[in-house]
Amino acid sequence: MKSAIELRDVHKSFGTTKIIFGVSLQIREGERHAIIGPNGAGKSTLFNLISGRYEVSAGRILLHGADITNLQPFEINRKGLSRSFQVTNIFHNMSVYENVRCGVLWPAGYRYSFWHRVGGLRDVRQRAEEVMERIGLARRRNTLAGTLTYAEQRALEIGVTIAGGASVVLLDEPTAGMSRTETAQVVELIRSVTEGRTLVMVEHHMGVVFNLADRISVLVYGELLATGTPEEIRANPAVQEAYLGALHKEAARADGSHA
Amino acid sequence: MTYQPLNLGRWIIWGGAALLFAAAPHLFPGGFALTMLTQMGVMILFALSYNMLLGQGGMLSFGHAVYSGLGAYVTVHALNQIGAGTFYLPVPLLPLVGGIAGLAFGLLFGYVTTKRAGTTFALISLGIGEMVFACVLMFPGFFGGEAGISTNRMVGQPFLGLTFGPGIQVYYLVALWCFLGMAGMFALTQTPLGRMANAVRDNPERAEFVGYNTRHVRFLQLVLSSFFAGVSGALSCINFEIVSAENVSAIRSGGVLLATFIGGVPFFFGPVIGAIVFVFFIVALSGFTKAWLLYLGLFFVLIVVYAPGGIASLILMQFPVIRAGRWRELALPYALAALAGLVALAGLIGLVEMVYRLSDQGVSTVLQLLGMSFDARSAPPWIAFGAILAAGLASLRAAARRVGERWGAIQLELQAQAAA
Repeated sequence: MKSAIELRDVHKSFGTTKIIFGVSLQIREGERHAIIGPNGAGKSTLFNLISGRYEVSAGRILLHGADITNLQPFEINRKGLSRSFQVTNIFHNMSVYENVRCGVLWPAGYRYSFWHRVGGLRDVRQRAEEVMERIGLARRRNTLAGTLTYAEQRALEIGVTIAGGASVVLLDEPTAGMSRTETAQVVELIRSVTEGRTLVMVEHHMGVVFNLADRISVLVYGELLATGTPEEIRANPAVQEAYLGALHKEAARADGSHA
Repeated sequence: MTYQPLNLGRWIIWGGAALLFAAAPHLFPGGFALTMLTQMGVMILFALSYNMLLGQGGMLSFGHAVYSGLGAYVTVHALNQIGAGTFYLPVPLLPLVGGIAGLAFGLLFGYVTTKRAGTTFALISLGIGEMVFACVLMFPGFFGGEAGISTNRMVGQPFLGLTFGPGIQVYYLVALWCFLGMAGMFALTQTPLGRMANAVRDNPERAEFVGYNTRHVRFLQLVLSSFFAGVSGALSCINFEIVSAENVSAIRSGGVLLATFIGGVPFFFGPVIGAIVFVFFIVALSGFTKAWLLYLGLFFVLIVVYAPGGIASLILMQFPVIRAGRWRELALPYALAALAGLVALAGLIGLVEMVYRLSDQGVSTVLQLLGMSFDARSAPPWIAFGAILAAGLASLRAAARRVGERWGAIQLELQAQAAA
């Protein structure tokens, strides 16, 4: 079976500091894959390597079997991989509608066109309306993105990411900083918008991970500890020892403080 | 807070602009006004093209005169060739020649400058500007050295009976191209490239992750902008019938930055206002005082510090208050502030002019102002103007506080109403 994303012995170091030590991983077409691990394990770095934000020090990265190692972010995006950011990364001075539209324009084929009137592009508008409807921001379409609430901005972040119809979606901590109700809404949102696509996400919230993911990879100090179904991961003694137990306690504490 | 694109008033605004262009020479009759209006038209086009970089693309360029100036040089040669009978092109179409020349140099230099954004872009643009200026002086064969190249716009057969001898014909030629350029540049803001130029300005990283090569966006934006800069250069060539090194100089590049900023970078129409004010300073004020550049500089600094959105932002700020019918409450505070400002200005002008009287060798040190004479070598006028300036500034401060209080109160009430 062909992999949506394949990492082959990927290394990353900043100067003399090694962050990722030889990660090899295959993510199947259409699966929902979560990457978990303690703070500083290199999860976000891994995302930055896959999406082209950082250059890989050694190893290869393949998207649908094609080599994308060290391509520019826009080249990787055009090949069908789209990502969101842990720290909200949207166009703050634009309206919700314009934000979503930015994600639609390139894949819709309008590229650098300066001969189309953007307001007259019906296909773009339809797609943008559809996305806004899905992320629940249709009524906020003319609001400046910078003035949205935090949860709305996070939803918009996902909207911009999925607007172009990428086949592989990377979400970096989509529920970070959200309340329990907001988290539940975002989980449903993610489930619906990634239908029929490959999803890779970094997530701290174990409830979200075990609820959404088909498979889970555990990253500890730049190395892959285990990959498997939620049941396998839960039952894996190495994972429990190294990480999960501590995190469960952490999560319980965090949940307690929310309530 | 919501953002609604202005659609309703668009026809009225553009119709009004066209009408204003047509009526301006009749509203302000006289040769001097016509000279000024023509230069304003050229400058409006130039400043708008500059704002395609600064306002829409987030590119601070210190070398935009390169494109207008080289466009002007190519135009002056084309005009001279038409005069020599080498080929024929009606004079009204010459701005296209300038535009295409500007675009060609945009392709060439823009390829280098737009490799980077931000400070690096600004520095490369400065370097290219200096390089082109040096080249202009190094190759007098093509560029005519310090003196430049002069020409005669009355060449070939009259086009539809127009010889472009009289200034009024030149004005309408400039007005037509200025209007077309305005419409073209506004249309460009409404295209995928135009919108993505804004996106790249606001958040280049995110733009890369939705599929856009930010360098390519900057490059295309600059090339299109240099076309309109070239058109403005051609119009200035037709208007002055001379093109010299000054046309590509850093002074010209700095001037367009000043004009654009004064008008208002965040708004499409901002540079129009800025160009009008700028030309007014240069043409009208320079006839009255040698200190005009100082006044322009001071004005620029005031805008940068107190109204970074330019004059346009100051005007647009009033609209919500006017719409709510609350402007009358502000009329008195505004009038008092204006009065205090005028007093301070009078004091400042007195001091500045006396400084110029003292520094100017061989010119009388006596300053004539409002039918009175002041000798800059005696102490009393210095004390008097100093006192006027101090009093003006003190009352301006008080008046500004009053405006601020009233303004803040109205804003709070309007917000409360909007929330309810």
